Amino acid sequence: MCGNKVTTGVPYICPVRESTPGFDHFYSRGKIVIARGLLEGEIEPSQELAEAIFSCTLCGNCMTQCGSINQDTGDALVDTTKIVEAMRADFLENHPKWVDPAYRSILSSTRQYNNPWGLSRTAKEKWAKKMKLKNAKREPSPVLLFVGCTMASSQELSTRARKAAEIMSTAHVDFAILGKDEPCCGSVQKRIGDVALAREMMEENTNLFNSLGCEAIVTLCAGCANMLKNDYRESKEKLKPRVFHIVELLPKLIQEEKLQLREKHSLKATYHDPCHLGRHMGIYDQPRAVLNALPGVDLIERYARRENTICCGAGGGMRIFESGSLAEQIGQAAVESAIQVGAEALVTACPFCEINLQTAAQKLDAPCAVYDIVDLVAERISLY
Amino acid sequence: MHSKKLLRSLQEIVGKDFATTDRFATFAYSQDTSVFGGTRAETVVRPGSTEEVSRIMTLAHQQRIPVVVRGGGSSVYGQPQGLPGSNLLLDMTRMNTIIDFNPENMTVTTQAGIIMGKLQHACNQAGFYIFTPSAPVHTVSLGGWMSGAAGGAGIWREVMHLTVVLPNGTIVKTGGGPGTNVNQPLYYNRHLGGPDFTGLFIGDGGSFGIKTEATIRLVGLPHVTRARIVEFSTLEKVLELILRHVKRVDPHPFNPLLVFGPGAMETFIPGSGEKGKFTVMGIMQGHTIKEMEAKLDTFDALVAEMHAERNPALDAMTDAMSTSREGEGGMEMFGLDFFNGLGLPAWLPFNMPRASFHTTYPKLIEWREKRLEEATRKGFECRSRFEFFTPGDQCYLSGEVDAFFKDSDDPELKEFVRTMIFDFQRYTHELGFIDVYNQGVMSTLNAHYWSLGFRTLYHTVKSTLDPHGILNPGLWF
Repeated sequence: MCGNKVTTGVPYICPVRESTPGFDHFYSRGKIVIARGLLEGEIEPSQELAEAIFSCTLCGNCMTQCGSINQDTGDALVDTTKIVEAMRADFLENHPKWVDPAYRSILSSTRQYNNPWGLSRTAKEKWAKKMKLKNAKREPSPVLLFVGCTMASSQELSTRARKAAEIMSTAHVDFAILGKDEPCCGSVQKRIGDVALAREMMEENTNLFNSLGCEAIVTLCAGCANMLKNDYRESKEKLKPRVFHIVELLPKLIQEEKLQLREKHSLKATYHDPCHLGRHMGIYDQPRAVLNALPGVDLIERYARRENTICCGAGGGMRIFESGSLAEQIGQAAVESAIQVGAEALVTACPFCEINLQTAAQKLDAPCAVYDIVDLVAERISLY
Repeated sequence: MHSKKLLRSLQEIVGKDFATTDRFATFAYSQDTSVFGGTRAETVVRPGSTEEVSRIMTLAHQQRIPVVVRGGGSSVYGQPQGLPGSNLLLDMTRMNTIIDFNPENMTVTTQAGIIMGKLQHACNQAGFYIFTPSAPVHTVSLGGWMSGAAGGAGIWREVMHLTVVLPNGTIVKTGGGPGTNVNQPLYYNRHLGGPDFTGLFIGDGGSFGIKTEATIRLVGLPHVTRARIVEFSTLEKVLELILRHVKRVDPHPFNPLLVFGPGAMETFIPGSGEKGKFTVMGIMQGHTIKEMEAKLDTFDALVAEMHAERNPALDAMTDAMSTSREGEGGMEMFGLDFFNGLGLPAWLPFNMPRASFHTTYPKLIEWREKRLEEATRKGFECRSRFEFFTPGDQCYLSGEVDAFFKDSDDPELKEFVRTMIFDFQRYTHELGFIDVYNQGVMSTLNAHYWSLGFRTLYHTVKSTLDPHGILNPGLWF
């Protein structure tokens, strides 16, 4: 894996390399060589090395662009994201003093509050107040709306959960929520390297979800979707409900005319593919189908899109790394690419992307606003 | 181990963030994409300009510090080893800016650390491209390509000028217009005004100087591409076709022919290799449909006259390829992803005269098969073969007879592949050919076959330009 392959639609491979001094250890090839060096005892762990290992968004673009496939399994021949996660796990377990304390605080918050952000357990039900939604534990429903910790972490983001619930209610989807009992999926913990804790959460959650008797889990967060759909395959008990991100549900609701869409103001919008949804789950067409179906929305594409999308910068715990400065820098490149195509709206489907792109847009005083796709749908069914 | 004082001096030149002695950071350069490995360095520096490179080399020259230069790190035969324990490694990929795009003069001047894919893409966007004959070179740096002759050396004649930093820090600009070879602002003729010093630095393996900038001639991007794929039962027929083709037209840059052996076709389309046929792909490129169709008609007439066989499956492939270009020019897009999935490669490239090809090519295949039998006895599984060649120009053919192994962590497999690659090149030398790359371990092999006169000339030039032998030491000898 060389990390050099620039072709049509691929301006560069590694957003971290692009926003740092760019030595080999800042991107996949160097990290892989370092992993070997650590295993073979050729290099010693250090704080500087810990910083290098945590400076990765786990976006997977290096794997996608390399394209090397294990002929037996069809998987990526070199799974950089797994290698980086494993190195992080090693540092957390054996050299915790060199790991940024902010990561350790995420893990202690998880143990204390069952979410990475130190939110009180009741924070997860605040958004649903006065909505009279079913509680999945008491009233079994075919669909569980899984909001996720990050969506519940601020008032602004949590309106998204409210909008999603209202869209689903409008479309007569029979669903329930877990409210304050909604657990953390374990994605953040796994990405920053606490594999053991993530596994523990996965096993517990699988039992919980299976006990609810629902057929499907619908998430609002790309990270949760990827974790539940892909990483949970490793759990001892098989997760029974099928996992969907809401962008997979929305086109069906629109196509079946369960949502009456009305003309709102016209908007030139471009879609930012979250890495978890795109490269990790292959979901590219559905959000575009939604945007194309929204009256007044004119979907324009950026140069790097779909599997070539450059990460927003917030993946892999990077919002925490160096207080988010590197993530923000990477995010600015994503916003600039939206400005370049004349977009008035930069639309995504992941709260991590949204927060980071929002911060970057503010920093740039960008002429385009950042939206979650749920915002645009909710607007056009006149909920808001 | 380098001193802190040296690090501080380097940081003063390139900026604090762009020089490091961190062990893990330098270790990351100890491997490249080849099975032969990278460079063990004490310090790694990422210069951003010719002036910075010049100041670094002045310092290294004064203090006699060995300097190893690295481009894209995507070699076939490994990086220069330098003097492990003392190496200062220059990672040139920060120098990736296109300096001047001159559509009127049809040249592009760029920093030499640029990755070819990026350069090619920028050219494509402007309606041009840089012809690269026979290898997927998207991942190599321009400087590495020119130094190491990656990709069959086809770009060499298109290089109009080089800015080179000599081992003592002197900046030299080669090429130019009549009357001056120094500071000529518009580089449009490599040969006039003085000796062709541009050529001196091409294929030098990076041992005479560090290429920091280059001006390259562009060709117009052909907007229409179609391929015609036909089969021949014998190598002789293929060679006759090539001769008749190159007699009519220069295969560069718009009329390439690619020939695939049975092993390659088996890899493309399982079952097809059994027929033992050679498959020829004529790529017809034109600036208009009419131009392309005229070329296609001519080529069709030629292959019909030679009783080439058509095959519906191959015709379907032709159609698919014709629509998949999406504006990218040249052949360099071909096959890059395809190779990635085949396994651990034993790259076995060659450059051979077209005239004796019919007798030598079968020997290369025979050699490979013997080695693969040995591999099987050792328990190594060869998963694919890939034979391919193309006319590099009128007189030579450039190609590969690769084998791909099921990859594993077994160090014996890696060693087997290393030995196979090395022995293959030794064998081609014995057959009277030259190696394709002036790179890594093969530079030493090439130098072994130099005549006394050539060797003396090399040493004279090297010792004049680099009296302390600090630049890429040990590359050729």
